Amino acid sequence: MASEWIVLFAVLAPVAFGLLTLWLPRGWIEPRMVLATAGPAIAFAMLLNTAIDNRSALQAQHDYAEAQASHNDHAHGDEHDNSHAAEDASGHHGHADSPADHHSESVHADADAPAPPTTGVLPWMPSLNINIAFLTDGLGLFFGLLVSGIGTLIMLYARGYFGRAGPTSADDLYRFYPTLGFFTTAMLGVVLADYTLLTLLFWEMTSISSFLLIGWDRYDKKAVKLAMQAFFTTGLGGMGLFGGVLVFGNATGYWRWSEMLTHSDELTAQLQHVGEHPQLLWAFVLMFIGAGTKSAQFPFHYWLPGAMAAPTPVSAFLHSATMVKAGVFLVGRLFPVFAALELFPLVIIPLGAVTMLYGGVVALQQHDLKRIFAFTTVSQLGLLMAMYGVGAIDYHGQPAIDYDVTQIANHALYKAPLFIAAGAIGHVLSRDITQLNGAFYKHPAICGTMMAAALGLAALPGTISFQAKELFLYGVYHGIEAGNVVLWIVLVMTVLTAVCNVAICVRVWTTLLGLPGGMREEHGEPDHGHHHEHAHEHGLLAHLIWLPGALIVSLQFVGGVFPKLAWSRMLGLFEQPATAHNYFASHYGGLPNLTELSIGTPLICSAIAIVLGVIVGLAKPLRGSIGDFADRIYPAMYWLSVTGGGRCFRLIQTGNLKHYLLFVLGALLLGFTWAVQVDLADNDGGMLAALSSDTAGNLFEYWPGILLGLIVCLTAVLIPMTEVRIVRVLFLGACGFAVVGLYLVYQAPDLALTQLMFEIISVILFVIVLRLLPREKLHTIKLGNKAWRLVLSCVVGGVFGWMTLIAASTDRSATNPGKYPLGKTMAQHSYGNKDGLDTAMAGADGPELRGGGGTNVVNVILVDFRGFDTLGEITVLGIAAMGVWSMMPHRRRRDGRTAKPNNTEQPGVTA
Amino acid sequence: MTMVLAICVAVTFGVSIYLMLGRELKGIAMGVFLLGHAANLSIIAMSGSPILHTHGAEASRAPATLEPISEHLDEQRHPLMTGVNIKQPPVLEHHEPMTDPLATIVDPLPQALILTAIVISFGVMAFLLTLLVVTSRRTHTLAIAELAQEPAPEPDGGPAQA
Repeated sequence: MASEWIVLFAVLAPVAFGLLTLWLPRGWIEPRMVLATAGPAIAFAMLLNTAIDNRSALQAQHDYAEAQASHNDHAHGDEHDNSHAAEDASGHHGHADSPADHHSESVHADADAPAPPTTGVLPWMPSLNINIAFLTDGLGLFFGLLVSGIGTLIMLYARGYFGRAGPTSADDLYRFYPTLGFFTTAMLGVVLADYTLLTLLFWEMTSISSFLLIGWDRYDKKAVKLAMQAFFTTGLGGMGLFGGVLVFGNATGYWRWSEMLTHSDELTAQLQHVGEHPQLLWAFVLMFIGAGTKSAQFPFHYWLPGAMAAPTPVSAFLHSATMVKAGVFLVGRLFPVFAALELFPLVIIPLGAVTMLYGGVVALQQHDLKRIFAFTTVSQLGLLMAMYGVGAIDYHGQPAIDYDVTQIANHALYKAPLFIAAGAIGHVLSRDITQLNGAFYKHPAICGTMMAAALGLAALPGTISFQAKELFLYGVYHGIEAGNVVLWIVLVMTVLTAVCNVAICVRVWTTLLGLPGGMREEHGEPDHGHHHEHAHEHGLLAHLIWLPGALIVSLQFVGGVFPKLAWSRMLGLFEQPATAHNYFASHYGGLPNLTELSIGTPLICSAIAIVLGVIVGLAKPLRGSIGDFADRIYPAMYWLSVTGGGRCFRLIQTGNLKHYLLFVLGALLLGFTWAVQVDLADNDGGMLAALSSDTAGNLFEYWPGILLGLIVCLTAVLIPMTEVRIVRVLFLGACGFAVVGLYLVYQAPDLALTQLMFEIISVILFVIVLRLLPREKLHTIKLGNKAWRLVLSCVVGGVFGWMTLIAASTDRSATNPGKYPLGKTMAQHSYGNKDGLDTAMAGADGPELRGGGGTNVVNVILVDFRGFDTLGEITVLGIAAMGVWSMMPHRRRRDGRTAKPNNTEQPGVTA
Repeated sequence: MTMVLAICVAVTFGVSIYLMLGRELKGIAMGVFLLGHAANLSIIAMSGSPILHTHGAEASRAPATLEPISEHLDEQRHPLMTGVNIKQPPVLEHHEPMTDPLATIVDPLPQALILTAIVISFGVMAFLLTLLVVTSRRTHTLAIAELAQEPAPEPDGGPAQA
């Protein structure tokens, strides 16, 4: 199994290389491109190596098990001549009681609940169940290779795309490569992380990078808005996923995908009786919200067409080939376990099917190439979701899924080239399909790429897309055969969607070739694409604008013409073990060749779709350009959260100190009343007892205390009673000095000294400030106002006095054997004298405990035991000083204004 | 002694609330200041009374019953009072045995907390007073009712004084 370091390096390589490009001078475009491309390329190579390693390890196990099996049981051995994985798996079932040898056991586990190939664990935050480990199973590695492979080509394409954009291209690329590297790393992390929370972390990073890339044109307000819309929607989904992961982890104690997979039997059993485990249901629903929003499922699909504001390399990479498939990936991750949930197909199939058809129909009515392809992406994502839903329907007694990886790969292999070509043609001509009539003759390479990819979109025979569509149709058809008549609807919807896709393909072909049925500009519609006639580049680099697309799309045809090769050499490496039970494998031993397909309902469906599609594509109706009603969902949500939230906020945050105080004091009084109630009922009125002089101490026991207390009370009461403000300040000072005296009585010389000093400064400060303030007008204060203030103050003051008594009189010796344990410990350790320590603290042979080395306990506490607190205190003081300094009038003079002379005499209060 | 403190806390707290509910910023600043005193006093009350209690009528006269510390107490009676035994400040003679230091000295922890609080409340007060000056410069009033009607300041600092 792969080392975690290798996978970690592969995951981090794109962002690392992307950041490295920042060191290059801006003008160095070609070295920048090479360096940026190296990141995903290296990741691709390393992941491929891991995949091959895994495969050979699995093969070795397999062979070993076969040898063991034939050695132990010759009767069963004959079955292994048949190379079908399905029968292999069932053949191994018979050897449950073969010798309990290490290897055969693991193979047995492989047949039942496959032990997923995980890497080692690098501890990160073990207490929070976040560590760094990777799950390099087929699904994860397939996605990893898809991301890094397409990422490599997109890095090259970006050079072609931005390279022609004119003088800003160097700047654009300077920013673009690190951001795209960041995304690539995030996406690799999503698909490879083993810890659920680590996946979530990367998941959010993909949302952030998507946001950055959609709003690439920082000065385009619309793009920024659309970026917000995408971020908001997928971020909401991320919250859902977060909740789902937490609920799942809480309910089951599994925080790793691999744990979930290895315990799939147990979880499946629980999910079949989900009524007893409602948490699992919630976990599924929440996680599906995450998957659904990320993968643009209806009605949250609106963000994806909006995301087309991004530069085309981004659209091709994030919003068609990789990131939007994260939701599909998540469902694929959950499939082996959650397929057992009855709700799984019931939720996923309808949503997926509706998304699929809706996307297809809306795509027909767009004119902007990127929007057309965006809606077909929505449609295809719906299909992929529905595929997992259909797979969850029991077929021959087991949920089975036909080549999920093949179908996902197929979409990436035609959609990325479509976008690449759309971006390229948008740069040289226009992105509006009505303006592209006959464009093929001007730009054959770009248009040829697009037309080839459009064949994949239409799923015509000869592309791997055709097989994929067949697979899906077979899946639905088998669901029908298994008795789910409702699936006929899904079958019809699939055919209709296919009709839309074929129609789009036909339109692209006829338009680009300038054939009669093609789209034409009618009565001068406004052009949405930016069609600047760019200066043509020459040389190899000029071809980077279509070459990556052509490379990717060629795989479509390789897979379509040689499906067996594609299956065994490429995609078969990554199929989930569940596919061992599928239909195609047992009939054709892999993806079927075209000639091998037997005529049946699915094939007829495909034929119908193609014929109807050609008709629709050539027909004039349905060519209008209409919007998507779901585009209003986000503005409505935005209005609701911003405006509604603002109103709620102003309802609570009135900005009036009186209201805040009333809230706080009201809560205090309510809480205290409740506490007294509870105390009287359960605790024999200990709070009331605190009022008696027994525990509170005799009021008259110490006359200096009485005297000081009297001064404090008297001066405090006099403050609001005087009108002359200087006198009020003097009373305030007098009160403070009496408090100093109380500190002395309480044997706190440090406090007394500090308070004395600050009291003096405060009084001086107050007097100076009073001088700077305007004379106040004589208020006529209403008596009613005064009365309720008085009542409230008296009540609150009384409550606080009572609370002080309670706090002071709590018999701490009853609950703690050592009285005042914290203060005592601190006093004991203040100097560090070992002799007096409790024997428990310093064992006879323990090291000599060293304390603060000071005899003033308060000082030692401040600088040693609570040193960080003191640091915080200093920070607060520093911040206050900065605030005062920034507000001081002398700063104004820099603006050229002359301050009044006395303005500048603000004393250095913070010295 | 705790009772005295509790009354002081009650009064200062009440007055500070009364001031803060007022309609003028200077009074509110004074209320905040007083609130600091009230809070500090209630914290120090938690260190327990510094008066060493002895029971019965001889409480005021008789020496403390705690044998090992009575001699220290005799030396260090509070100067203002005869007959009342008071604990010592939390300053140690480091050679003395410390099996139960809090029998002879007051609890140092509340003091440490208050020391921090004093410093911070001073910082807050300085900030508040500066705010007061700046506000009155800009708006020419410190009455809350009038301030509420002031337009919100511009992001760059509002209408500056000419």
